[in-house]
Amino acid sequence: MSIIVTDLTVRYGDKVVLNDISLEIESKRWTCLVGPNGAGKTTFLKALLGMAPYSGSIQDKGIEVFKSHKRNVAFVPQHPQIPQGMTVAEYVMLGRSKRDGWGNESLASRSFVHKVLTQTHLFGMQTNLVAQLSGGEMQRALIARALAQEPELILLDEPTSALDLHHQISVLNNIELLKEEGVTIISTMHDITLAAMFAERIVVMKEGKVLLSGASQDVIHSPELKRAFDNRIDVYTLDSGRPVIVASKEKHL
Amino acid sequence: MITEHGAIAKIWNWRITVFCGLILFAVAIAAVSFGPISINFFKVFKTLFDLPGGSTGQDRTVIMELRLPRVVLGILVGSALATSGAVYQTVFHNPLADPYLLGAASGAGLGATIALTSTNHNLYGALPIFAFLGGVLAVFTSFIISGKFFADPNSLLLSGIAVGSFATAIQTYLQQRHSAALRPVYSWILGDLTSASWSVVAWSSVYITIALIILFSVAKQLDGLMLSDEEAYSLGINPKRLRIIAVAAATLATATAVSASGLMGFVGIVVPHLVRGLTHRVTNRSLITIAMAGAAFLVLADLGARTLLSPAELPIGVITAFVGAPFFLVVLRNRRKVTQ
Repeated sequence: MSIIVTDLTVRYGDKVVLNDISLEIESKRWTCLVGPNGAGKTTFLKALLGMAPYSGSIQDKGIEVFKSHKRNVAFVPQHPQIPQGMTVAEYVMLGRSKRDGWGNESLASRSFVHKVLTQTHLFGMQTNLVAQLSGGEMQRALIARALAQEPELILLDEPTSALDLHHQISVLNNIELLKEEGVTIISTMHDITLAAMFAERIVVMKEGKVLLSGASQDVIHSPELKRAFDNRIDVYTLDSGRPVIVASKEKHL
Repeated sequence: MITEHGAIAKIWNWRITVFCGLILFAVAIAAVSFGPISINFFKVFKTLFDLPGGSTGQDRTVIMELRLPRVVLGILVGSALATSGAVYQTVFHNPLADPYLLGAASGAGLGATIALTSTNHNLYGALPIFAFLGGVLAVFTSFIISGKFFADPNSLLLSGIAVGSFATAIQTYLQQRHSAALRPVYSWILGDLTSASWSVVAWSSVYITIALIILFSVAKQLDGLMLSDEEAYSLGINPKRLRIIAVAAATLATATAVSASGLMGFVGIVVPHLVRGLTHRVTNRSLITIAMAGAAFLVLADLGARTLLSPAELPIGVITAFVGAPFFLVVLRNRRKVTQ
């Protein structure tokens, strides 16, 4: 089954942030939203989460996603609120709240968190304060908390922003762990090369509308991609067959 | 945090809560024992639990009618302020938030000043009611002013500061107009438990107990409010609703405490940080422990207030601030270290 988005519109006052979007998002796949700043990518995630009031529908099996997945949608924000004084273990344990009920710490949950910390290479740092983690470690802690939720759907807002190359790949590899467990992944990303490398599908957005969506390889070679960014975009293919997308200095399309 | 059998250790150790409860019990018995008339610790214990060998006559009256209601009121007020402080710190993402943040203290102060400056002296007896209504009204006004943004902690906080300043301005004006009331208003502001009687304990215990039950029941979910609203929502919390419930209950507890005993500075800041600092845990699972620590802190401060200059009494607010102010500076210093 897929998530079916029909006539999705989000307004903040008079401003239309998402304008009549219709789209199909395949479940158990990684879909990446790309587009210039202000395209409405983050608002799209918030609508999926149920945090942005919208008209139209976002349905999975005929039920609104934020209702049907209410127990199982994980959200990794671009700018998380860092809780002062909280340890990594406490932070990741929050992900078990919906499974266990708030504050209950079953042995099974504590074992699960142990496993997740190991998976995300955070084991050994569980007593460290979240506020003192580096950017890459913080991002891994966010992913670990999402993994601890055992979600059906995970929404990630710019998970690699402000990370160095090594940590970008490390974090994206961690997200791939979720895909192996059958989780539907929807992320936003500015780096289209990374998006093409990891996501199976790419949705190109601009000014609240979807310009194009489809398999990653098809989307990156489409002229619509250039139109989205108002810039010439060159796509090179490495010997390994992997595409590299580069914006050109010349502005003409 | 030590791992056990391939699992991480529990976030909160309830043995700490039990330990804190035992300390509170011991402090309460000690506070009933000490004073101008010292009564044997074990005799107090036997009297309280109606066991053979307890005190009789004057000693029994001192225990049951003078000291016990004062200690019980100290427990109620201390637990209310400490719990409210911890909750405010979580809700407003601000380790320096205290229970008086949204204008509860200024509103209560204005209410008390109105009662004390009234030409109708019958209103003196109604001071707790005036203080209670003043505190609740001030916080309610903060909510109204922040309007549809009430769910945003920062706009609520700024509204509280504005309302508090406004109430303080009126209070100052009234004090200037009625200089005879300066001393009683000042004395009330510093806070004391001398007015403690079983009737004060009876009405204040109702509101404080209701507020604490509400706060304890949402304590575990409050941890989610330490995150952004989107993150909290994805964890199954309705952050706006939870914030309103938490602030309303904390305000009820604070307004009741203030109207029963005046302003007790620093309890709401010192105690939550003390418990969190000693246990190295910020989780709100510690709320019950914080409540008991707050109760013990205030009962001890009151013991100091009535014994240090005996037979004269110091305002209890002097003791709490004397301990609280330096502690507050240490918290600020450590916070700066963490954020650097």
